[in-house]
Amino acid sequence: MSENPTNPSSNGRTQPLLLRGIDEEGLHTLEVYRRRGGYEALTKALDMAPGEVLEQLQASGLRGRGGAGFAIGKKASFMPEGAMDKYMVCNADESEPGAFKDRELMQKNPHQLIEGLIIAAYTVGANRAFIYIRGEYQRQADVLDAALAEAQGAGYLGERILGSGFSLTLVVHRGAGAYICGEETALLDSLEGKRGNPRIKPPFPANQGLYQGPTLINNVETLATVPHVITMGGEKYAELGTESSPGTKVVSISGNVRRPGNYEVELGTPVREIIYGLAGGPPEGREVKFFFPGGSSAPVLTAEDLDRPYDFDSMAEAGSMLGSGSVIVVDDSVPVVDVALKVAKFYEHESCGKCSPCREGTRWTRTILQRVDDGTATPMDLDIMASVQEQILGNCLCVLGDSMAMPIGSMVQKFRAEFEAHIEAARARNPFGDEEPEPPLPVVQGAAA
Amino acid sequence: MPRPEVNMVTLTIDGREVSAPENVMLVDGAKYGDVEIPVFCYEPKLGQPVGACRMCLVEVEGIPKLQTGCSTPVKDGMVVHTQTQRVKDAQEAVVEFLLINHPLDCPVCDKGGECPLQDISFGWGGGRSRFVEPKRHFEKPLALSPLIAIDRERCILCYRCVRFSQEVSEDYQLVLAARTADTYVATFDGHPYVAPFSGNIIELCPVGALTSRPYRFRARPWDIEGSGSVCTLCPSQCNVELTVRDERVLRVISRVHEEVDDGWLCDKGRFAYQAIHVDERITQPLVREGGTLRGVSWERALDEAARGLSRAGSASAALAGGETTNEEGFLLQRLTREAVGSAHMDSRAGGSLPVELHAALGAPVLQATVPDLQYAHAILVLDTEPVDDMPIVDLRIRKGVRRNRVKLAVATSRPSSLDRNAAVSVRYAPGCGEAFVAALNAALGGEEKNFAELVAAAGTTAEGVRAVADLLAGAGGTGGPGDVVILWGERLTHGRRGAAAARGLLNVAGHLALAGREGAGLLEVPAGTNGRGLREVGVLPRIGPGMAQVASPGALGAAGIRDGLAAGELSAVHLLHVDPLADLSGRAAWKRGLEAATTVVAHSAFLTEGLREHATVIFPAESYAEKEGTVTHPDGRVQRLRPAIGHPGEVRPGWQVLAELMKRAGHDPGVLTGAMVSRRLFEAVGMYAGLTLEELGGRGVRWPARAQAAAWPQADLGPFGLESPPAAPSPNGELRLGTFRSIWAGPAVGASPALRFLVPKVRVEMAPADAQRRNVTHGDHVTLGADGSAVEATVMLRDAVPEGTVFMETNALDPGLVDVRKAPPESRR
Repeated sequence: MSENPTNPSSNGRTQPLLLRGIDEEGLHTLEVYRRRGGYEALTKALDMAPGEVLEQLQASGLRGRGGAGFAIGKKASFMPEGAMDKYMVCNADESEPGAFKDRELMQKNPHQLIEGLIIAAYTVGANRAFIYIRGEYQRQADVLDAALAEAQGAGYLGERILGSGFSLTLVVHRGAGAYICGEETALLDSLEGKRGNPRIKPPFPANQGLYQGPTLINNVETLATVPHVITMGGEKYAELGTESSPGTKVVSISGNVRRPGNYEVELGTPVREIIYGLAGGPPEGREVKFFFPGGSSAPVLTAEDLDRPYDFDSMAEAGSMLGSGSVIVVDDSVPVVDVALKVAKFYEHESCGKCSPCREGTRWTRTILQRVDDGTATPMDLDIMASVQEQILGNCLCVLGDSMAMPIGSMVQKFRAEFEAHIEAARARNPFGDEEPEPPLPVVQGAAA
Repeated sequence: MPRPEVNMVTLTIDGREVSAPENVMLVDGAKYGDVEIPVFCYEPKLGQPVGACRMCLVEVEGIPKLQTGCSTPVKDGMVVHTQTQRVKDAQEAVVEFLLINHPLDCPVCDKGGECPLQDISFGWGGGRSRFVEPKRHFEKPLALSPLIAIDRERCILCYRCVRFSQEVSEDYQLVLAARTADTYVATFDGHPYVAPFSGNIIELCPVGALTSRPYRFRARPWDIEGSGSVCTLCPSQCNVELTVRDERVLRVISRVHEEVDDGWLCDKGRFAYQAIHVDERITQPLVREGGTLRGVSWERALDEAARGLSRAGSASAALAGGETTNEEGFLLQRLTREAVGSAHMDSRAGGSLPVELHAALGAPVLQATVPDLQYAHAILVLDTEPVDDMPIVDLRIRKGVRRNRVKLAVATSRPSSLDRNAAVSVRYAPGCGEAFVAALNAALGGEEKNFAELVAAAGTTAEGVRAVADLLAGAGGTGGPGDVVILWGERLTHGRRGAAAARGLLNVAGHLALAGREGAGLLEVPAGTNGRGLREVGVLPRIGPGMAQVASPGALGAAGIRDGLAAGELSAVHLLHVDPLADLSGRAAWKRGLEAATTVVAHSAFLTEGLREHATVIFPAESYAEKEGTVTHPDGRVQRLRPAIGHPGEVRPGWQVLAELMKRAGHDPGVLTGAMVSRRLFEAVGMYAGLTLEELGGRGVRWPARAQAAAWPQADLGPFGLESPPAAPSPNGELRLGTFRSIWAGPAVGASPALRFLVPKVRVEMAPADAQRRNVTHGDHVTLGADGSAVEATVMLRDAVPEGTVFMETNALDPGLVDVRKAPPESRR
């Protein structure tokens, strides 16, 4: 291959950080990682006081790459000081449809993550760390386990790391494959061995997290960025990207594009450059109909928004969000109802069932959309569906309900005419509705009372 | 952990200024301003809020999103709106969401009429549904257990029952299975949910998903009346509300009293009401004629009884069982002392202590309260298994440990269900409580001299004793002695060495400086429900009402009465709510004693073994639902029983029968009503002076907290010199036997159809190693004891049982050494 598509220098703006030479043979081994300057940031950080490292993180303005975009420096500063059991958790439960950046980062460069995690743990004084990785990422978990053993052998983990006074144990914990366990408090419950249900916030994990102890929890990409922040210096890092969204971002592009994959861009790069420039745009003869700028939970944007800069604030301004930085492109060959139904099905299936609006609202939405598709709905149902989304939004225990309500709400709002046309067409095709088979009763434990 | 201080803050709710305690949740704070915020999942008794139902969403100024009132603590200056359009929309939406999968079968639902989901739907719902799709379906109704029916379609998944099982009773059986709207409540292993406190989930359920099987379809809320009383089935004395329809008790629910029961009931208390209305109940006086018991008139029975007791005179004796009220006990001791002319009486199954030790152990300065268990720095559970002996306290201890990080030490012979929660658990040989207490005393006092000897005598370990001592002594941290509560079983002071054990316990209390310390002290678990009250009203051999010493040399206690009857020195015995064969130790000797007695007068609701065989006169006894009078809680709270239903058949009030017997024996007590007896009692017992039934009301009064507590006799609280305790018997190839009484003991459980399945089988708990050595295994049939009093039992292997010891629920064998042998095949039942 003459041109490395993951190299953002192709857009002429910057050198990649996280994905630099990502395809180099053996990068997952300690030897190659060290040859490329790995673990020097850790040495540098351990020479600094934790407070100084925190200052660097704060100066970098690095915002969380998991979805919420909360600055890591700020989050770390919420951790109480003093001697107590504190925890560092890496959220590697990358389960948002459309997101696959963490997978590549962990599989190809695990030490980058481990190094960042050690630095972050050092910053907040946590002596126990966990990487909670989703159950489906078996290969990545194996890679992490191997890297962990290597790091341990080299003295980067364990007692008195590199002769400093700092000790850290790290455990890779495999989840069982539930979307909700990517929600930080559900992740903590799951890590504790409980059913993965979100907890009520406050208290936030920084105060009462894992085993009731203060816990710093960050996404893979965020932590993988930390060594670069330390190497470059926080202020230098902040020069990348835009003022409120500094740095680079690994964007997962999927859907109707010619070159789907992970690309590292400087935040603020126009969306058009990402979709068309890097990913090659939709197939021949197709137009971008709409796209999810931040995973399936982001409200959709249309072709009109293609020239907006891709950063946290611009996406929020457009009425959507950058989220985990996963762009799903939908071209004009795809009916919007199909996408909406698929999204609703996913969130209904993944709702943990704890809070009422999400549990009942996701199912209700899916059933209405099913009727829209089957031809047993009326345009009035679209109003009901829109109002259901409104009733879910902001009223749930965690953001899972919102994650369905936002995209579905935006699709109904932006493509109402298409929904209505779909209803009409389906009704014409199927004037009497589908005979819905009676679902068998779930037989669960117990004897007749 | 000391009780938190309460500061009041001012906030604005719906434009009104409200003063509420700081940091209570908004839902509770709003009540101070008469504002109701609807909730389903919120229940402070269950611990931290979960915020699942989202019913309590309110607007808090300065926070963009709606907030859940159940999890937002009130703060000074907070401005809250509960009536805005935004809040209304959210509330209507939540009701609509909850109802879309709810079957709305209110007309056939037991909860209908007393259902929070109904109430909130009417109060805060939109009154319409836009849901036209099929509802979620489950097979229903199913039996979650023999006591509880589950209807999963009605469930709104509020998590209450699961949280109860996980965080209150800690039986960890209930879980939520599956996810999304298909989530359902189930037991983890698929077995029925059988646990000592399972019935509480029925009351917790805010919909009709969990209903009581015994109460199913028995009544609608408009058919019933509620009547408050106190459950007298165990010393917990939980406050209950009896649901009555047409003079029948159909249900028992909690009447929350935070200082007694915290709003929980055990399943025995909740379901044993069935025993009130069974055919087995004795409802007319019985007299033995020609060897068989026949129903007779009251006149005849009273005459026979009075004549028999009077004739025996000083060769007569009286025993009061735990369910005896203060009034009945008071009259019984007057009848026996004044009318019959005998000094032999007892209310303590295991023998009496000298009056000065009773006075010391019960001294008001040394008494801890039930809520103290929740806020203490440390608790020592000594020689008692709370879940069996005083079940509700088990939940209170768990609450203290879980929520307030109370440090728990458990010192018992038998493995305790609280071991998992304890920071330290030690075992000692059965019956060696005295030696253990002496060793603990030595450890606390730093006496090294004979510490090793005491440890060996107790059959325990030095490390264990020291760990308990360190935990208790260090409970207060660096700030000096902490608040320590010692929850001790009456059993500790039973037997010949009881007094020595009591002195040791008082020494321990002295080392920990418990006397006069707020939030600390001793809390005794009496063997009988009203054990404390009966002592205070004078049903003890040498102690009269108000702990007054009665000069009566030679007065016999329970053991003396037993032996006296067997030896023919006593000829009559008056059994008030007690059957010695079932309730007292020394079963074989009691059998001989009752056999020899010429007059055995009993008051009982059931024809238990001893009465069926030996009673000459039986008066039908009231159930607690029919009784009026008072009982005294182990922490000194005098509580009032109020009749909920009339007397069935010819049953008469117990006080009336005793008063009538006095009259016939020539000593008319001059009481015409139950209230008059109470008044006489309050006059006669110094600490109760000035109490009135009105003052007791529905909450009771703790007398140690009243000024009149000064009437309690002055007592020497130690330190005492301790004799060296007898050593634990050396097993020498045999096994040490410990006995216990489970929560399911007592005739009420066996007589209640719904609870019958819980009646304990005769089983012997063994360590696997001991079983292996004897070539027996789980479920095997074995014989214990010598030939004369051999008992058969089924082996139950229990890992936590210390090797060399077995435990058995029985009073047929006295603690000591036994051998366990495989039963010969022909004896298998």
